[in-house]
Amino acid sequence: MAERRADVTWTGDLMSGSGTIDSVGSGAFGPLDVSWPARTEDASGGKTSPEELIATAHASCFSMSLAHALAQAGTPPERLSSSAAVTFVPGSGITKIALTVRGSVPDLDADGFRAAAEDAKANCPVSQALAGINEITLDAQLDD
Amino acid sequence: MPRIARSAQVAWEGNLARGSGHVSADTGAFAELPISLPSRIGNPDGKTSPEELLAAAHAGCLAISVAGELTKAEKPPEVLALTARVIVDEVEGKGHQVVASEVDVSGRVPGIDAAEFARIVAVADAGCTFSTLIRASAAVTVRARLET
Repeated sequence: MAERRADVTWTGDLMSGSGTIDSVGSGAFGPLDVSWPARTEDASGGKTSPEELIATAHASCFSMSLAHALAQAGTPPERLSSSAAVTFVPGSGITKIALTVRGSVPDLDADGFRAAAEDAKANCPVSQALAGINEITLDAQLDD
Repeated sequence: MPRIARSAQVAWEGNLARGSGHVSADTGAFAELPISLPSRIGNPDGKTSPEELLAAAHAGCLAISVAGELTKAEKPPEVLALTARVIVDEVEGKGHQVVASEVDVSGRVPGIDAAEFARIVAVADAGCTFSTLIRASAAVTVRARLET
């Protein structure tokens, strides 16, 4: 069992107030500022948001799950480059996550890579936790 | 309503057990944070993990929701302090799963009593995107405490 922790402080009302992710249990990052305008306008002003943190969690979980699946199949990756793009509609919530991965994997063909990536997308713990999102897409290709 | 996109990038090298990766946020708020399997499931050793990022997302999402509900009730908070804990465990037949997210919310809010604060925090929890999503597969516990 693993427990992971984060601490957040918020000051003031929604529109003009602001928050800070003060610290996380590992100490890996923080303090990071958050605000409603930065969350909901195209220009983030360099501030993170719950959706960006979810994108980061999903891309990292997916990458680790895919590395595991490839290694189990006897074709460990040299390198995986993944991204997750989370679409957020205020009032409706998260409507979509688009996962993209490019991999450098010796001795594996494109179909085998796509199949392993689909499996990682379905089974990584963050995918399971976010299973309520209507649309999670995957674009998986080997590097040229 | 506008559609907002937020993205992150991950680079991973090698297999799961001995490989390692780095995560970066497209806003630039954080970059090149290292991740690995041993630090994800054991001692974090200064490294973040998918679950820690989920904890930060949940605390951030709920902070904004509580501030929004208090603002709507014309009782904006002086300050809210939240701690989220995301717990991963091995579930028989399913491997590792996020089994719980627990959030403590304490607030200093002029002109409100503890019962009203607890009620508004519950409304905010119901409206928080992340609480709703994760409640489908994990236990979400939110505790409210008004500072007096």
